[in-house]
Amino acid sequence: MSSPLPDSANPFAPRPTPARRLEGAVSWIFRIATYFVLACGLSIFATIFWKGSATVFRAEFPFVNTAFFTQAPETLYVFEWQGEKREMGDKEFRVFREAEAAKAAAEGRPAPVIRADSYAHSAGGIFPNVVGTVLLVVGSMTIALTLGVCAAIYLSEYARDTAAVRLIRLAILNLAGVPSIVFGLFGFGMFVIFFDWNVSLLAGWFTLAFMVLPVIITASEESLKAVPKGFREGSLALGATKWQTIRKNVLPYALPGILTSSILGIARVAGETAPIMFTAAFVISDRLPWQVEKFSDMFFQGVMALPYHIYVVSSKIPQNEYTERMQYGTAFVFLFTVGLIALTSILLRNKLRGRYKW
Amino acid sequence: MPPTDASPPPAANIAESGSARPFEIRRVRTRFLGLTLDECIQGFFGGNAFVAVIILALITVFLFREGFKFFPLNQDNLRIYRAAGLEYVQHLRGLDESHLALNRYLQDVRLRGLQAMQVEGVPAAEIKARLAPFDAWTNAFGDAIDPVRGLAGEMGDLSVAAKEAYQQNEDYKVARDQFLAAGKTAEAQAIEIKEVDFAANAAVLRGLLPAAREAAAGASAVIEAQLAALPVFPVAELQPRLARFAELGREYLATYPAALAGMEAWKYDQPVSGLEAFQAFIFGRQWTTASFWQDWYGIVPLFTGSLLISLIALVIAVPFGVGAAIYVNQISTPREQRLIKPTIEFISAIPSVVLGFFGIAILGETLRRLSGWEGLSWLPGFPYAERLNALTAGCLLALIAVPTIFTLAEDAINNVPRAFKEASFALGATKLQTTLRIIIPAALSGIISAVLLGLGRVIGETMVVLLCAGNRIAIPDFGLGLSVVTQPVHTMTGIIAQEMGEVVRGSIHYRALFCVGIVLFLIALVINFLAQKIVRRYKVSVG
Repeated sequence: MSSPLPDSANPFAPRPTPARRLEGAVSWIFRIATYFVLACGLSIFATIFWKGSATVFRAEFPFVNTAFFTQAPETLYVFEWQGEKREMGDKEFRVFREAEAAKAAAEGRPAPVIRADSYAHSAGGIFPNVVGTVLLVVGSMTIALTLGVCAAIYLSEYARDTAAVRLIRLAILNLAGVPSIVFGLFGFGMFVIFFDWNVSLLAGWFTLAFMVLPVIITASEESLKAVPKGFREGSLALGATKWQTIRKNVLPYALPGILTSSILGIARVAGETAPIMFTAAFVISDRLPWQVEKFSDMFFQGVMALPYHIYVVSSKIPQNEYTERMQYGTAFVFLFTVGLIALTSILLRNKLRGRYKW
Repeated sequence: MPPTDASPPPAANIAESGSARPFEIRRVRTRFLGLTLDECIQGFFGGNAFVAVIILALITVFLFREGFKFFPLNQDNLRIYRAAGLEYVQHLRGLDESHLALNRYLQDVRLRGLQAMQVEGVPAAEIKARLAPFDAWTNAFGDAIDPVRGLAGEMGDLSVAAKEAYQQNEDYKVARDQFLAAGKTAEAQAIEIKEVDFAANAAVLRGLLPAAREAAAGASAVIEAQLAALPVFPVAELQPRLARFAELGREYLATYPAALAGMEAWKYDQPVSGLEAFQAFIFGRQWTTASFWQDWYGIVPLFTGSLLISLIALVIAVPFGVGAAIYVNQISTPREQRLIKPTIEFISAIPSVVLGFFGIAILGETLRRLSGWEGLSWLPGFPYAERLNALTAGCLLALIAVPTIFTLAEDAINNVPRAFKEASFALGATKLQTTLRIIIPAALSGIISAVLLGLGRVIGETMVVLLCAGNRIAIPDFGLGLSVVTQPVHTMTGIIAQEMGEVVRGSIHYRALFCVGIVLFLIALVINFLAQKIVRRYKVSVG
């Protein structure tokens, strides 16, 4: 609306009629609705970032709470000791109590009785959870991408357009909308019970992989389909084989689309809790996944995972100042990670969207 | 050819892969197991696609295979319920339970009266004196049911004993079969199985029918007399509630003949059809597990809970999602667009468990405080006491549904041909008229399917409802009108997540959860199917 003339002098300036005033009012309603949604979303981010950053960051070097990222969750003990309030993790508390008992024994006093309030999962860190989530994501995405991208290439490039293929495509499209808990149910019945893998990394991998499989197939096929037919025909006309055509003239142009969909798949796999609740996740496990006797055992034991840990700490323990730190800290790390993955995918897509135009 | 092509043009491929003479066609191709390289590659991709399809088919098959075995088990469950006489005794127990509910009503009235008098500043002794006639009356009302209750307890013990004996026998039979399968005949023979004589048990129970009649007649006479002599409540405002109580009491008395007729009609050996077992699941109004009396697997409370939460979420999400889509596509500047679209997509990436945590930690308490605020007390159901309820979960689910609805609706609006808009402007319509009368109707099919897919997303959501919906297994009381939204509910997804970890494998409970999973699966399929159909059917043709 930058006119060189002032509005009063502009003979074409819109006159304020009732219709225009209404239009202005209605567009304000829409504007407010939009910004309200943004405000809600951002306020959730802001709350969790604000409260979580108190746990995750430190004021002095190295600025990050290293213990939080390198230790396992522990029970927190809070007690009064010689007039001051002490907070200790499980291991530290045991050492302290024994030391005090030994001191008392040396002085000939009875061992002091320490009455401590205990809060489960409220001390230590989340290292095993991060490790578990990474393992779950890497494994399941490997399975899902291999199967999904290859299946999409077949469906889009090789398969003829028969009724059977159309049916398969429709089925895959519909499976993409099935709730994740149903996949969890399937994984539990199939891998945990039928195959007798128990609650294990392997069962989690397959459950998560099958959950994102329809999404990956659909998205990959779409990006393959978006490559113009002329590319293939030109290449075939010049005598290239089918595989050469796909490799040189289709995949390079479809890759950005496949990449974005797979990154979104990663965000989905990392963020889901329901499918791993009874297929892969342990509430607590005192060993890291690789601390096993045989290498193959690693796949047949459950892991701790970040989303499940959030579920556990938010539903199974009360909310108070001691438990809050761990809850918000975990939520912060998780939200930040998943958000970062999603942001990468969104930015990447926006950047690549304008790159190929045909 | 695209302008930014990094790979060599296809013509170079032949030169690369061929020999030094570029135009010679090689006759002999490399073959593995009689297949050319290309066929091998095709086979590899095809194999992958085949595996993927098999897996996805397997999911469906497996769900149904595990789930459908529920119905025979439930049939057996209901058969025992009938044969052991639990069904028979339940009629009497039902009378007792309804009476208990009436008593709770009276207690509630008393409590409110007490509070009202305390607010007035009446001394404690005075309050006690004023309530004394009411209390005496309440006690007499409460005691009226005692003969029925006693008899129901006695008969209940008999039938529960028969049921437990039967179940123990079943366990013994399994053990015996296992011994036999392992070849341990001696141990197998050592297991003594005495068949439960349901007929004898039924005869004993039947013999108690006259006693039951007598007890019921006695109770109903006392209750009728009590209802006729309603006391005057010391707080006048609560007197209408007592009048209402008399009404409820008469309704309750009217159930007596039906209960006795039900007992009369009971036949212990009447078979339970498969259809009944199916109906008990689909129309069952109770989901009770691990109960000493009888386990019920009825999906109605869970389904209504899911539906209630989804409706709340959609009522909030549709105006915001569609409004935002209209704003971004029609009103906003390109700069705003570039900011808003990724942000809303970003919101969709918030993991649901984090949202659930936010609901428990902050939103539940905030909403509850807000509901206590004077200015909002006109809203239905406000103020409320439960921090976690359908409203809390619904608000959070709305935030999950908004991005889905927004993205798809925005796409639909964007796909409306430009010519529509231009034609409308050319006819002198304002921007608002064009948007509301031309663009939105043209995009309506897309918007509706966006809303449907949003519903699908919400109804399948697990973590938020598990954490924030309050998890009370009961059909929400829709009689309360809109204030039903502040009740705690349980959902289909929530029950699977909550109970799956604890069930015995292969048990009826395990299979019942699979059945709930099947229902969810079917709902998702129907919603997806409808969404696609609507888009295709009502697509505006760009002719």
